[in-house]
Amino acid sequence: MSPLTLASTLVGLPALASVVTLALRRTPRTAAAIASLVAVVSLVVALVGLVVAPTSDEASSILGDLYAVGGLDLSLQLGTGPATAAVAAVVALVACAVLVFTQWYLADDDRLAEFAATVSLFTAAMMLVVHARDLVLTLIGWEVMGWCSYLLIGHWSRKESARRAAYKAFLVTRVADIGFVLGIVGLVAGAGSTGLDAVVAFWSGTAADCADSATQVVGACAAPEPWLRSLLVSLVVIGVLGKSAQIPFQDWLPDAMEGPTPASALIHAATMVAAGTVVLAQLFDVLVVADGARWLLGVATAITMVGAAVLALGQSDLKRLLAWSTVSQVAIMLSALATAPADVGPDPGLFHLWSHAIFKSLLFLTIGWLSVVAGSTLASRLRGSGNAHQLARVGWLFGLLALAGAPFVVGGLSKEHVIVTAYEGAVGAGGPGVIVLAALLVTVVLTAAYAMRAHLVVDAPDPLPEASAAARMPSAPVLVALAVLTVLTVVGGLVMITGLFELERASVVWMLLTTLLIVIGGGLAWLARGSGDPRDAFVRTARQRELADRGLGVDTAYRALVARPVLGLARVVAFLDREVVDGYVRGAAASAGIAGWLTARGHRREAASGGVALVAVGLLVAAGTAVLTWR
Amino acid sequence: MTLAIDWVLLLPALLPAAAMLLVLLVDAAVPGARRVMAVVAALGLAAGAATAVPGILAADERLTLCTAAPDGRCLWDGGPLPSTLQAGILLATLAVLALVSVRRVGVVDLTLLLASAAGGTAVVASRDLGTWLVTLELATLPVIALVAWRDRRAATHGALTLLTTSLVSFGLLVLGAALWVLGTGDPTLTGESLAAAWAAPERRPVLTLAAVVLVAGLAFKLSAVPFHAWTPPTLTAGPLPVAALLASASKLAAVGALVVVLAPWESVVGANPGPHALVSVLVGLTVASMLVGTVMALRQTEVVRLLAWSTVAQAGWVVLPLTALSAAGRGAAVAYTIVYAVAALVAFAAVRATHGPRVEDHRDLTAYRGILRRDPVAGGTLALALLVLAGLPPGVIGLVAKVVALGPPVAAGLWPVAVVAVIAAVLGIAVYVRWFAVLFGRPDDASAPVRPRRRRASVAVAVVGTAVIVVLSVLPQLLLGPLA
Repeated sequence: MSPLTLASTLVGLPALASVVTLALRRTPRTAAAIASLVAVVSLVVALVGLVVAPTSDEASSILGDLYAVGGLDLSLQLGTGPATAAVAAVVALVACAVLVFTQWYLADDDRLAEFAATVSLFTAAMMLVVHARDLVLTLIGWEVMGWCSYLLIGHWSRKESARRAAYKAFLVTRVADIGFVLGIVGLVAGAGSTGLDAVVAFWSGTAADCADSATQVVGACAAPEPWLRSLLVSLVVIGVLGKSAQIPFQDWLPDAMEGPTPASALIHAATMVAAGTVVLAQLFDVLVVADGARWLLGVATAITMVGAAVLALGQSDLKRLLAWSTVSQVAIMLSALATAPADVGPDPGLFHLWSHAIFKSLLFLTIGWLSVVAGSTLASRLRGSGNAHQLARVGWLFGLLALAGAPFVVGGLSKEHVIVTAYEGAVGAGGPGVIVLAALLVTVVLTAAYAMRAHLVVDAPDPLPEASAAARMPSAPVLVALAVLTVLTVVGGLVMITGLFELERASVVWMLLTTLLIVIGGGLAWLARGSGDPRDAFVRTARQRELADRGLGVDTAYRALVARPVLGLARVVAFLDREVVDGYVRGAAASAGIAGWLTARGHRREAASGGVALVAVGLLVAAGTAVLTWR
Repeated sequence: MTLAIDWVLLLPALLPAAAMLLVLLVDAAVPGARRVMAVVAALGLAAGAATAVPGILAADERLTLCTAAPDGRCLWDGGPLPSTLQAGILLATLAVLALVSVRRVGVVDLTLLLASAAGGTAVVASRDLGTWLVTLELATLPVIALVAWRDRRAATHGALTLLTTSLVSFGLLVLGAALWVLGTGDPTLTGESLAAAWAAPERRPVLTLAAVVLVAGLAFKLSAVPFHAWTPPTLTAGPLPVAALLASASKLAAVGALVVVLAPWESVVGANPGPHALVSVLVGLTVASMLVGTVMALRQTEVVRLLAWSTVAQAGWVVLPLTALSAAGRGAAVAYTIVYAVAALVAFAAVRATHGPRVEDHRDLTAYRGILRRDPVAGGTLALALLVLAGLPPGVIGLVAKVVALGPPVAAGLWPVAVVAVIAAVLGIAVYVRWFAVLFGRPDDASAPVRPRRRRASVAVAVVGTAVIVVLSVLPQLLLGPLA
């Protein structure tokens, strides 16, 4: 299979599935089954792609030069490469697991088909971002994902809180997208091409030749201005921070837990929040020379990973704990991109994306199951729910082990590489390496602590009420999907030896050190377990719990610092528009009316004779012109 | 004198003429075989359009009817610009033929339509004054007969108006042709002979006068202000299909004729002194047409009269790129006219499908209230056509045509014209949105016109035209590429 066929199949299949599913929405079960079937097919295609993954990046245009209009080279290329194939495979895997799980989890939902269609479209958009070798295509996938996340989070739109969470996710990410769009436009305008290769070559200063300097709007031909490069990449980074829920945009993601759990699994594991990592990895060669952007990204992710881990420890709702852990883990991926020296490349970050997708989808799907058993996602209600089924207990345990970064499971290996990358960045090149490394080490302790807490809560020996223990068992396909994800969580790190990601060797010293830190963090939580939930030892008063559950009140800050000033400004603009600008419009309308009336008076008699009269006028004009020119 | 003739290049004009003769023969042999004659006519038009396609795509010169060297002149150009216009004229005539109900179409209508189409295709390709004059009148005179052919007083009145203006116009054209020959001593319209003549200062007034008089004569056919007075009464009074013909095929032929006349002037644009008088006449035509047509269209409530005044306004837009006297300007003018002709045909077809062909049917804007719900096909196609005429997305090609038309005058430094054009475009949006807004809303059964019984062909024309608009909106390069 050629790279182009592979890429366009992986993008096209889910898109097609979403259309078909939506068309069959009258029979939701059939529709969802078809969506799952297509997801399985695209998973197979993605696995084939993994096997035939080309040794080097290849890209081909899907439309030829059909759109060669104007001074911009709009190539619309799709492509694939080793790392791309790996990420695509994990996206397909998670999408498949989520769709299978949805069929069971939302079996009674009257809008099951719409949900499945949105999941498929979401997958298609993510595949487009993953495979795009053209920034316009990236932007399209990016925007479609934003829209789909709005639909998925607000799926239970009869709930006021779900509607609010959906609006919040949409608005916050849209605000950040202002930066993303501006950055992309600037990068494209400078390079005179939307193709990823051309943009990267131009902005990293490695453009082989620049014969056509007329198309280059910004900067000289030889080397782009460093400050301009930093500014544009920083704008892109701001968009990424928004989509990936990094500080200061972090607060939409925990609220997005109002969506159905499969939606959370999809958004957190493989699509929305991970998209930023993919885009920055594609632009890595530019990012690595844009120091300002690296500092912005490094500092933001360092603060985010520690802060989110602290908040995760304090949540009273385990699903929100997972949400904060996603914020923290995505910060780890992005920090690898911020600190990696040029010779290491973006692959440690992508490797962490791969492992995070596997274990986070496992954790979300498991908690979806447990919440059905316990009837809630509150930690107090989930106590002992792991006793419902052995697979749930094992899946939850291994998911948490990977989250904590225990050695040899998938999350441990990738976190190891991120830490080594940050260390190399700290000792070697400039940039935010030291800060990130310190934050990473603190985060390792905190992550181990909250993972231990989540384990202690679910695995508590309290017996379940008989009725809930016998509650609905998942269907066989769901169990298979969970089992596959569990196995992959354990052995998924073997992707290292396939060479799909370009990784350096892990260091034994660092592995020992992180293991020690994990033991410290987990041990602290263990010692603090008290009555059962170690949280009570860390967050003592009701006021502190309230603060933790509300994410330190950032929502209030959003409203006070952004929403209210913007609304005030909008009122001023509306006033100016109504009273000042509309005045001109009304004036224009009135003068057009008067002109029309005057002209109409001149045409009152539309008779043949009137025509002759006008002919005479015309002739006079012509003759007058002739006389004037007769010199 | 021997002429080198490449018959293939002449086919777009010869096929409709041959079809006309065939129709007459069929009528003589089997009187009353209306269906056969209509099919022959349609085939002639379609085949002519098909033979124009190679010319649209051609990259090299396609000249024929050439006199012998050394100073050989070619009297016929089959390049992309004329070929595009030829295809447009023939397909527009075909659409008009579909709008005239097959049941009612007679041998006279068919002959006149085919004659007009043959004349139109010939005038746009001609490169000498003789062919140009004769074929231009061949394109125009049959239309007058078509307006008057149906025996109604209002129609004869419209035909009389058109006839008066046409006669004056013909007089001007002949005068202009004579002045051209006087100035250059060359009956062909070529840049070299004009440049040679322009070098002599005493010839410049004659040449300028020739061009001004020719432009004035053509302004009648284009219905540009101040030569527009015939347009509203004729379009309103005549049968609707003929109005559609006047707004589409006749307009294309007139633009082609104007392009032929103005093409030689490119060679003296850079000269000192340049052809400033001609440019100012063109600018005057443009500005007056755009403003007068638009403000008058703003006041109309009868839809055909509104379309008639909008034709006047669009004539200004067609002349706008020609003010630059450049090759890019000619391409832009042709592209704009094609887009306008398609949109106008769709609008006329939708009106025909809503009211029927007669003036007596209360063709008022109120009849269109809620038509999108009552009659989604006619309403939807009409809505898109209006958006194209206004230059608003999703009628992207309308917007593209306007932008492309603004380019050449700006490049030539004629900023004031561009400013006026922008003002006219804004006013024009108001014109079409007035109608567009009525299409939405609740249907009012009391004012709704009775749907005509035979309207399948009109609906088909509207749908095909809409398809063309959609394709061009997605891929504007299909139209702009060959003309660039």
